[in-house]
Amino acid sequence: MQMYEEQKSSCPVKVPVECRFSPYTDNGGTTLAIAGDDFCVIAGDTRQSEGYSINSRYAPKVYQLSNGSVLATGGMYADGVTLVKMIEQRLEWYRHAHDKQMSSGALAQMLSTILYHKRMFPYYVWNTLGGLDEDGKGAVYSYDPVGSYEKQKWNCSGSAGHLIQPFLDNQIGFTHQKEKAPLTLERVVQVTKDAFTSATERDIYTGDNLEMFLVTQNGIEKTRVELKKD
Amino acid sequence: MFLTRSEYDRGVNTFSPEGRLFQVEYAIEAIKLGSTAVGIQTSQGVVLAVEKRATSTLLEPSSIEKILEIDAHLGCAMSGLTADSRTMIDHARVEAQNHWFTYNERIKVESVTQAVCDLALRFGESANSEEALMSRPFGVALLIAGIDEKGPQLFHTDPSGTFMRYDAKAIGSGSEGAQSELQEQYHKSLTLEEAKVLSLKVLKQVMEEKLSSTNVQIAVVVPITDDFTNKKKGGFSFLTEAECQAVIDQLA
Repeated sequence: MQMYEEQKSSCPVKVPVECRFSPYTDNGGTTLAIAGDDFCVIAGDTRQSEGYSINSRYAPKVYQLSNGSVLATGGMYADGVTLVKMIEQRLEWYRHAHDKQMSSGALAQMLSTILYHKRMFPYYVWNTLGGLDEDGKGAVYSYDPVGSYEKQKWNCSGSAGHLIQPFLDNQIGFTHQKEKAPLTLERVVQVTKDAFTSATERDIYTGDNLEMFLVTQNGIEKTRVELKKD
Repeated sequence: MFLTRSEYDRGVNTFSPEGRLFQVEYAIEAIKLGSTAVGIQTSQGVVLAVEKRATSTLLEPSSIEKILEIDAHLGCAMSGLTADSRTMIDHARVEAQNHWFTYNERIKVESVTQAVCDLALRFGESANSEEALMSRPFGVALLIAGIDEKGPQLFHTDPSGTFMRYDAKAIGSGSEGAQSELQEQYHKSLTLEEAKVLSLKVLKQVMEEKLSSTNVQIAVVVPITDDFTNKKKGGFSFLTEAECQAVIDQLA
């Protein structure tokens, strides 16, 4: 990250020097979340890039939170890490203050307010929150960096978001389909894997590993699938 | 307690050698000068009832406010120096709204009670970064009634900042008599209607004036339901004078 551009010349003539402050970087990566009737799948690849370089082949950006929800962060990795730290702190404060675990719906609203409170210097993160609601139904919430959010059935964002989203619309939402297959956990997992293997072929910022969190009433199962490294 | 009174009752935040804070104890005494208020919790909701002591026949009774709404699902009855409750109720309302704003859910009854009690000991000189709000302790006790995921609940707060949950509680000048009456009459299977009648029955026994629909006020907090027209029903509400009269009619 280049903070300042200094004038190198020894010319005695003074000219205005332009100074830049570029605190943001895009570390790429793709995240995905799908809500079923009684489950939720949240996934993301583990590659961390910066331009044409790969910083890490395993830098997970999907986080299991202490209230049983899962947060997928895309965009700038450092901002995502900081945001998750903050959320965890708020979850603990909430537990102490109200003697209960924060529900996924409450967390969804809180995340929106956290993001909006940094409206003038936002966290450069595209969040997708997944979990089960109070009735045990799958819930997915997606956000823009300043906290505008929406409850959805499925969502895909990040560098290959635009590649995967129409695939999900068709395979999960059954748009332009005559037959609708029941949305089982097995099928959702298969669609997720297929989405990421295909995205890896076309998007240079997506690859290395796919990390999936399967949220059900019985708890959260974390699985990892290898993706192409090229 | 007055036997051991010494200069230790002057400082608002100085312990006496016996380990007491006299000013706080005196504040609790101040409540016993206030008009009586009762709260009764049932499985269907919570009832709050207060006596409105009219000091003059020229006084407009409707201008006496001793029950206030904190949020749609929270109500509060008070006794003592009711002006002191302004700060506390304001704080409770802000706290309830902030919770809704941040979490898109209604604040728990216990949480809002805790928030109010956090103010109680912020008197005297300021310590740390906490700014002192008052030069003396609050002289008011509150009965906070509400409904959350744990069901209908009733909490009592006093000037020391302690709060406790009650099935039925009376505060104010007639609290001793009223409390023992509640103790005798209360049972877990009380309906909301029965609780309204009981609250007035208890008030009637301890009131000096003759109980009427103008010198008592009743409010209830019942579960909030959304009917299919999407209009919210229930929550905190006052009984109208006619509804109040209907309860009084059941007393005889």
